[in-house]
Amino acid sequence: MTAGLGILLLCAAGAGIAEQAESLDGQVQNLKSEVLDLNRELFMLEEELLFPANTQVSVFVSMDIGEYFALDSVQLKLDGKPVSNYLYTDREVEAMYRGGVHRLYLGNLKTGSHQLVAIFTGKGPHGRDYRRGATLDFEKSIGTKFVELQISDRQIKQQPEFLVREWE
Amino acid sequence: MGITAINGFRYASCPAAILAAGMLFAPVAQAGEKLATGVIRDLEYGEVLFSFYQDDYFSALSKLLVARDAGRVSHHETEAELLLGGLYLSYGQHERAQEIFDRLLTDPVDSAIQDRAWFYLGKVQYQRGRFADADAAFRKVGNDLPQYLDAERRLLMSQGLMARGMFAPAAAILESWQGPDELLAYGRYNLGVALVRMNRLEEGARLLDKVGRMSGDTEEIRALRDKANLALGYAYLQEELEGQAKPVLQRVSLHGPFSNKALLGVGWVDAIQQNYRQALVPWMELKSRDLLDSAVQESLLAIPYAMGRLEAHGSAAQNYLTALDVFDTEIGRLDTAIESARSGTMIPALLEADNPQIARWYWQLERVPDTAQARYLYHLIANHELQDGLRNYRDLMALQQHLDRWAEKLEAFDDMVATRWLAYRQRALPTSTQIDAVDLDRYLARRDRLAGELEAIERSRDIAGLANARERTLWQQLQALEDHPAWQADGLDDARQTWRVLKGFLSWKLDREYKYRMWQQKRSLDGLNEALAQAVRRRDSVDVRLDSVPRELEAFSDRIAAVLPRIERMRAEVAAALMRQQNGIQVLAVRELEAQKERLATYRIQARFALATIYDRATASTD
Repeated sequence: MTAGLGILLLCAAGAGIAEQAESLDGQVQNLKSEVLDLNRELFMLEEELLFPANTQVSVFVSMDIGEYFALDSVQLKLDGKPVSNYLYTDREVEAMYRGGVHRLYLGNLKTGSHQLVAIFTGKGPHGRDYRRGATLDFEKSIGTKFVELQISDRQIKQQPEFLVREWE
Repeated sequence: MGITAINGFRYASCPAAILAAGMLFAPVAQAGEKLATGVIRDLEYGEVLFSFYQDDYFSALSKLLVARDAGRVSHHETEAELLLGGLYLSYGQHERAQEIFDRLLTDPVDSAIQDRAWFYLGKVQYQRGRFADADAAFRKVGNDLPQYLDAERRLLMSQGLMARGMFAPAAAILESWQGPDELLAYGRYNLGVALVRMNRLEEGARLLDKVGRMSGDTEEIRALRDKANLALGYAYLQEELEGQAKPVLQRVSLHGPFSNKALLGVGWVDAIQQNYRQALVPWMELKSRDLLDSAVQESLLAIPYAMGRLEAHGSAAQNYLTALDVFDTEIGRLDTAIESARSGTMIPALLEADNPQIARWYWQLERVPDTAQARYLYHLIANHELQDGLRNYRDLMALQQHLDRWAEKLEAFDDMVATRWLAYRQRALPTSTQIDAVDLDRYLARRDRLAGELEAIERSRDIAGLANARERTLWQQLQALEDHPAWQADGLDDARQTWRVLKGFLSWKLDREYKYRMWQQKRSLDGLNEALAQAVRRRDSVDVRLDSVPRELEAFSDRIAAVLPRIERMRAEVAAALMRQQNGIQVLAVRELEAQKERLATYRIQARFALATIYDRATASTD
């Protein structure tokens, strides 16, 4: 048998399998759809159960151009207690350059005064090791609290800038 | 032509087989990719993009659905819808994707969004094989589609037209191309191959030649160039244009994944032109390469055939014997592999070796680890149908992992709710007892009484009503003296005078301070009201909490209980689908291996027949 004929025969024999595969493909897509719906419900359940709106606190990290700073990691302390120490992959950093925002921490805090300290490490201008901190004293009231740790470039000083911003 | 006979020997690597290879798909951007995000105004939208830009479409989809339902992406409403549609499309959820794009097009949106929606709608239709609908949608795109998406649109349009047999308009789109060269090359390749298959060699050759000569040194471009040259070379060979075939086949890289077939073809060009010595050069090079490649298998027969034509019958016989030996060994290995595939041990290994990051299209067999099983695994993974099966298998495995994780989490949630119940029961009773012990209503009644008294004093302007304790005693004593029967007796004038002075002074004092005292009393009462209201609020809030906690916990328990059977059902469905998918892959693998074995068996018969002929001739000449 020739290779060409072999391929043709294989195609003919595979027709039944292809049909079967098509219906299986439909089943897979239906299952994916069901799991997506389930996932959404369960994410909501998880959030309501573990992080109710009244006590919920989220800390996000975002980045703009990043010319003067290549992020390696962020350490986060809340009221003096380390709550997160995150090491970023190149892929994650790239996703942040493109506009992605990373949720570094999701937890609970009582209403009242609190302090957040974030320590950023990475490579600064001229590839030098760089470590900077940023602090925020904030009030937690009833309702979710969002805090954004923003890394941006300060063009005039040719240095990175680390800002902490509260969102309501 | 199919099979070409050259002086009694049939070469097998027919052009039809080379050209029968499916359409090449350019690694074009995924739906919704490279969105212009601008300033992020909803952090959770940025979080979705964080997953999306890492190609984690499942997480991006889940996060976006949650954030959208909770109203947390309201500042990016239209972009979020567009992204959601694109994510559905990337995740194979065509119906949902279409619903979103249809909705976006019925709502008034700006032209940039509208253009994207038409583009993605076209892509949905294209992926579902509705090429005419896809074309109609693509044609509605205006001038506001980003360049990279417009290039993809043109490519898909031309491929859709080709699928409908409309080659001239497809060619026209590619002629007026304005996009990345790589994409154009894919389009030209597909059209070139399609035209050759329709016996329009001249037009097809022009396109394939352009791709075969394109510049660039990326792995993708090299492979595309080689594939175009190979297809064109064999197309010329099919039309018996050997003179044109040879230089084209010689353009194929010597160490690329298409080099084996090119070397075989170059040898055949020489053989057709009766340059058998020359033909042996590429075929001898092939002989040492991996036997899984049909070109290598064929070279084992081609070599002794050329030797025979050169009258070197002894060497030819020796090489046929070697070929038989090699074929026998390989058939033995294939038997083992088929057995392993049938018994189910090969497929798990196949799935383990599967790597979605490796595109089958520049698959390189020489990189494959040289164990008996691994050679076949990698060869099988390169099969197009198996790739589709593996993609579904990977998706199902991911679903299974998601469901397993949720099942574990739900167990933990259930424990958590049980612990909260326990804590509630431990705290609820003492708290209720404490609350009951404080008779707040009694305090409220006393407050009401006091308020009533103050009101009465104010109404009658009873200045004595606001007297302090000492003044009240004095006032009562003065009153008692006046009421005494002996008070009017003679000789008490001085006393009565003193009494009048005292009473007058006291009345004057109380009257003078009446307003201030009334204000003070009212202020105290206000303070009391505030304190009591706060106490009531606290008691009520504790009451509400005591009432609501069980309701909330019950609601959580109900939600967990409702979702658990769904998870179990889906786990069972996913497991069954996985099993079916695995069986399907197994059937395909066995067929593929059997087809290989059958091909080798045919070669084996040819080798034996040729050998017998040589022996017959030798015997006849001896006689």
